[in-house]
Amino acid sequence: MDWNLRPARDLGLTPADRLRSLGREPGLIGLAVNTAWRRAVRAYLAAAHRFRVEGGENLPASGPFVMVANHASHLDALALSAALRGPAARRAHALAAGELFFGNNARAALSAYAINALPVWRGRSRRGDLDTMRARLAEDSLVYILFPEGTRSRTGAMAPFQPGLGMLVAGTDIPVVPCWLEGARDAWPAEGRLPRPGRPLTLTIGPPLRFAGVRNDRAGWQSVSATAEVATRRLAPQQAP
Amino acid sequence: MIPHPEGGAFAHPVTTGIVLATLAVLALAGLAILWLSRSGRAKPEFRRELWLRWASWCVLLPLMLSPVLIGRAWTIGAVTILSLACYREYARATGLFRERLLSLVIVLGILAVNFAALDHWYGFFVALWPLTACALAVCTIPLDRPAGYIQRTALAILAFMLFGAGLAHLGYMANDPGYRPLVLLLLTAVALNDVAAFTCGKLIGGAKLLPATSPNKTVSGSLGAVIVTTTLVALVGAAIFRGTPLANPVWLVAMGALVSVAGQAGDLLLSSIKRDLGIKDMGTVLPGHGGVLDRFNSLLLVAPAIFHLVQYFVGFGLTAPVRSITG
Repeated sequence: MDWNLRPARDLGLTPADRLRSLGREPGLIGLAVNTAWRRAVRAYLAAAHRFRVEGGENLPASGPFVMVANHASHLDALALSAALRGPAARRAHALAAGELFFGNNARAALSAYAINALPVWRGRSRRGDLDTMRARLAEDSLVYILFPEGTRSRTGAMAPFQPGLGMLVAGTDIPVVPCWLEGARDAWPAEGRLPRPGRPLTLTIGPPLRFAGVRNDRAGWQSVSATAEVATRRLAPQQAP
Repeated sequence: MIPHPEGGAFAHPVTTGIVLATLAVLALAGLAILWLSRSGRAKPEFRRELWLRWASWCVLLPLMLSPVLIGRAWTIGAVTILSLACYREYARATGLFRERLLSLVIVLGILAVNFAALDHWYGFFVALWPLTACALAVCTIPLDRPAGYIQRTALAILAFMLFGAGLAHLGYMANDPGYRPLVLLLLTAVALNDVAAFTCGKLIGGAKLLPATSPNKTVSGSLGAVIVTTTLVALVGAAIFRGTPLANPVWLVAMGALVSVAGQAGDLLLSSIKRDLGIKDMGTVLPGHGGVLDRFNSLLLVAPAIFHLVQYFVGFGLTAPVRSITG
């Protein structure tokens, strides 16, 4: 691929707007902060939660791809990004609720620089935002960490997947990697302020799914989400009879 | 070395004069904008633009002048921060920031060349230019990604030349005990050069200078700036370099013309980069101005040009201790 002059996607934005921009491209400082944060999180998860990854060989070596998982805790995005290595880890963006993670500038700075999160706004996610995310996924070889249920489960049961996932990948060859994170609700429940060390955490990564043959329309998005939901549920540990 | 009287930061009358003149210009500009606002002659958005620019100057000027007045290490530190800020804007505008390895080498090069200035180690200071250029040329080869090699390497070497090696000359001047009036003169003369070009261009008008590069610049503005800046720099330069081989009318006029021409060249250089990229400003840090580079572009070429002129005739820090850190 030839490399041509292409200004940063977030050029010309004020610092506060840049933190919340879907076009935010981290520079050296962002990369350093994110790497340090990821290493610290990885060390914490290994020490406090005996974090284990099963099926790591199912992860593509580099982007673009989308990781989807069940969502019960703030630990989820941290654990999924901790499972990534190399260029995929450096280009991974967790899609996070704008209201919660980008509400004020201090929180937005932490979310943007440390977690490398991109904001998704409840109810006012415009079509243009999704188009930007879809385009960036392929053009910038990104990795998205996405929880298609839309919110953290309060009961531990996984809710149906929203069609937004389909809007990102339908009709493309970009793999969707289903994951199941077991133990996160115990380790940091949605109603808790802080994680509880000592509770084990296990991530199971399933074989990637592809949706090149699916049409990029409403019916296609639904079918992508339904397929990914089934694949994710299949990774859940079987309950003892 | 530059003649300097014993005493503190304000020992040299030129230092005091430049600081007072700058503050006076700032105060007068504020009053003029106030008068313009009160009289209702300017449109609201133009008034807002003027106030924004003025407020930016009120923040920027203390940040520029104080390090120079406080001392050598502060001056070099401020130049280092300026270099990094300029590189950041350039890298984001050209897309070079996506080349992490090159960016890292350039940042390390900027830190090293400013360290050499702080250490007062001239040999290392001048060696870092070719050494960093070589490092930039080879560091991406092991990535085994030849596509785009020429473009990224050329962009990186230009970046280090302008913001690393070039700007660091401004900091290196502080190794001379008499640096304050000269550095202050350069900082204010390049700003005056911009203002003179703008004013002469508006008053006289006429043919465009380089319409494709910078549509608002005129030949009359450019020549007017050369006359105004040369006169001022030659007169102030005569007071700074009294009793040295540089205190000769021919060389003083040459120095003044060099400040003006190199300043305008730096401005046009940045305009060319922006035109090529199709962007208007390099950043948003300074309201009313744009980015740091939009403000400091004129200094990029002036710093090394004047450094070597003065170095040839007078020399910098010849009696000051050398290699104060590395020993």
